[in-house]
Amino acid sequence: MLLFRSEETVDRWCEAHQTPRRPLVRLEQLWQLAVIWYENRLTAESRRPAPQDMVGIFASLGLEGPFWDPMADRWQTTRA
Amino acid sequence: MSPDFDTAVKLHIYRTIAETTKAPSAAEVAQSLGVDVPEVEAAFGRLHGRRLLVPEPADPSHIRMAPPFSGIATPFPVVVQGRRYFANCVWDAFGIPAALHADAVIPASDGFDGEPIMLAVKDQRPVPQPCVIHFAVPAAHWWDDIVYT
Repeated sequence: MLLFRSEETVDRWCEAHQTPRRPLVRLEQLWQLAVIWYENRLTAESRRPAPQDMVGIFASLGLEGPFWDPMADRWQTTRA
Repeated sequence: MSPDFDTAVKLHIYRTIAETTKAPSAAEVAQSLGVDVPEVEAAFGRLHGRRLLVPEPADPSHIRMAPPFSGIATPFPVVVQGRRYFANCVWDAFGIPAALHADAVIPASDGFDGEPIMLAVKDQRPVPQPCVIHFAVPAAHWWDDIVYT
C-alpha cells in the first residue's frame, strides 16, 4: 500500500504502473486498522487478527467487498 | 518447544526494538534468554508461520520484519520521543505509535512523485492531513509477497 497526497496522484501512479485503481483508505481508517492490529503487540497476549475476525474489522470501518476478504488466504490459525 | 518459549522470544524481540530501535539477531536473543542459537532460529520460523515475524530470506538468523517494525531502513521512518524507528509500510508507520502508545512524527512522501507528506499522531489520533492510501493488493494476497505489499 502506498500513501498519496491526492486521488490525482493515485491515478497517475496507477497509469504509470499499468495497475487498476483499487480501494482508497482514509487516514482515520488506517489509524483504526493500526490500533486494532498493533496496540497490544508488545504484550504476551498479542496476536494478529484471524481471517474470520478481519472481515468484521474491515466491515466496521466501511471496507467491504471481495477485495477486503482474506478468507482465501492460506495460513495457520493458531494464536500467537 | 513450548508456546511459552516462542512468546518469550517474541516479547524479547519487540521489547528490544522498542527500547533500542534495532531488531536483535538470533544470537543476541539466545544470549539474552540463555538458550542455544538454533532454538531461537526455530522460534523465528514458528513466529513467521504465525505471521508475527519475517526473517531475512537469505539469513534466517536476522529479522527483516517484526510488524509494525522493520529490521532494516525503509522509506517509512517514524520518530517517537526522539527515537527513529523504521516501519514496513504506511499502515505499519501508524502501527508503531499505536504499539508504543505514544505521539509520533512520520516524514512520509507521495507514492507517485515523492513529494513530502508529514504525518503525525498526537494523543493517539492521526493529525488530519489531505491524503489517501491506495491498497494495490487484495487482502487475500497480502502475504504472498509481504515485502511488496
